[in-house]
Amino acid sequence: MKITVLYGTETGNAEMLAEDIASELQSEHTVECCNLCDFPPDAFKSDHLYLIVCSTYGDGELPASAQPFAEALETTAPDLSGIHFAVFGLGDSEYEETFNFGGKRMAELLAARGATQVGERAKHDASGSDMPEDIALPWAEEVIALAAEKMQETA
Amino acid sequence: MKRAVAIVGSGPSGCYLAQALLKAAPELAVDMFDALPVPYGLVRYGVAADHQGTKAVTRQFARLFERQGARFAGNVTVGRDVTLEALRAAYDAVVIAAGLSGDRRLGIEGEALDGVIGAGRLTRALYEHPDADPLPPPLGPRVIIMGNGNVAIDILRLLAKTPEELAGSDLGPAPSKWLAESGIAEIDIVGRSPAAQARFDAVMVKELAKLGGVTIRVEGAGESDDADARKKIEALESIDGHGSGPRCITFRFGLVPVALEGRGGRVEQARFRNARGETVTLPCSAFITAIGFQAEGSLPRDALIGAAADPEGGSLAPGLYAAGWFRRGPRGTIPENRADAQELATRILADIQEASPRPAQEREALFRRLAGHVCYEGWKRIDAAETSELPQDRCRIKIPTRSAMLALAHQTRESGQ
Repeated sequence: MKITVLYGTETGNAEMLAEDIASELQSEHTVECCNLCDFPPDAFKSDHLYLIVCSTYGDGELPASAQPFAEALETTAPDLSGIHFAVFGLGDSEYEETFNFGGKRMAELLAARGATQVGERAKHDASGSDMPEDIALPWAEEVIALAAEKMQETA
Repeated sequence: MKRAVAIVGSGPSGCYLAQALLKAAPELAVDMFDALPVPYGLVRYGVAADHQGTKAVTRQFARLFERQGARFAGNVTVGRDVTLEALRAAYDAVVIAAGLSGDRRLGIEGEALDGVIGAGRLTRALYEHPDADPLPPPLGPRVIIMGNGNVAIDILRLLAKTPEELAGSDLGPAPSKWLAESGIAEIDIVGRSPAAQARFDAVMVKELAKLGGVTIRVEGAGESDDADARKKIEALESIDGHGSGPRCITFRFGLVPVALEGRGGRVEQARFRNARGETVTLPCSAFITAIGFQAEGSLPRDALIGAAADPEGGSLAPGLYAAGWFRRGPRGTIPENRADAQELATRILADIQEASPRPAQEREALFRRLAGHVCYEGWKRIDAAETSELPQDRCRIKIPTRSAMLALAHQTRESGQ
């Protein structure tokens, strides 16, 4: 499958995880990894699955590198119907009211433009005991399998 | 020929710089020197013990040493164990990312009284920095925290928490006991400026709403048209009236400290001037200054920055750079310093192509001469000792002394346990 891992990062943790996911998937798929700040919203392709790794910063805000993308998405309002994505969010349950809001916001922004979300939005907790990659790699396998079905149906 | 960069300081700015350098130029040799036997600087000794999520960045930094070829040389004080000049002669570029660890002083009468404590001094003792002063005597029933930055809020939160609320942290047994027995009844947190100009992040204030043992009041948060300021004011309003616990926290703003007064050499009250020019006096048994940091240690920051060709761009002299708080002063969060480090890395990589590379032999000889340095494997032994056999409510128990750290770091397989 053609997979693009997109990341929104503030401290670099989401970037590292995105790179880990990309290198793990490399052997079986065609994978690219790209910072959201370098990805224009009109570059989505319907034969790709987009895995979006996004942290949460401050008071439930999008991380710095996702903000220009989110703004561009709102101003250019592209039609993303036929685009498939899945979201892996990073957050810290110490801030429970806004826990994982970065990933949530990304999912909402893309869905609002007609894109189809695949699988459950994963939520890593920096205050928990799990390492992000330990959750992210099984999650990626799962959403890829789901996406393969969905994308075949719509193709 | 391979180029080499020395980074003085392995805190977040130094590590982010190494990361950006190695991402753009994986073949580069990067050696990181730290005055402590352990890496990560502020992340280990400045980020609050109960903010473990923030400390997760060390997983990125560990990769520098484990996968990207950077070398760690801990327990090396540049300016004492090796001169800055010797480093500059051996490396194509030297970057000072040593941070700012000294407490800025208020410069008012009474600051030398017992019970007046700098935030850095206090947090170093709480977080068991090996060079910390001992924990001070109990702070007494009424504590004033002077300052409105995130450090002031960290101290407020730690002093206000119940022992149970410190579960999951890496606060050591001695500091935990010290906090549990503090006997603090009231904490005033005082800002010189109105709340609109406070430097803390709104999320730090909102976090206080989770405290179970406190009653929070906010006096005179004021108003603002500025969106950023409004966020802070709204955060303050949201915690005003929170809780009914025994510890009373009061936020006060617009009070300029004038003098600290006491009898028998111990602080008993603080005198302030408010915006109307009136004197306001608050009693206190301890007064904590959290008004920023300044350079302290073996590197002459003022002279280096003063003579810099381009201090804003991080260039001090040919082949010599400054990063992080050492360059920019005590402002900016960890991610802001990450962005800075990425810019500086671009500049350094461009600059080092212009000069002829320094020979590796001299560099390796210098590195070996720094006998007694702690390598990354030495740190891993310290790390393993700190994270094995933990009590249930702690994620790490730091080794508090340099000698114990060094003993572990230099322990070899042959010498056994």
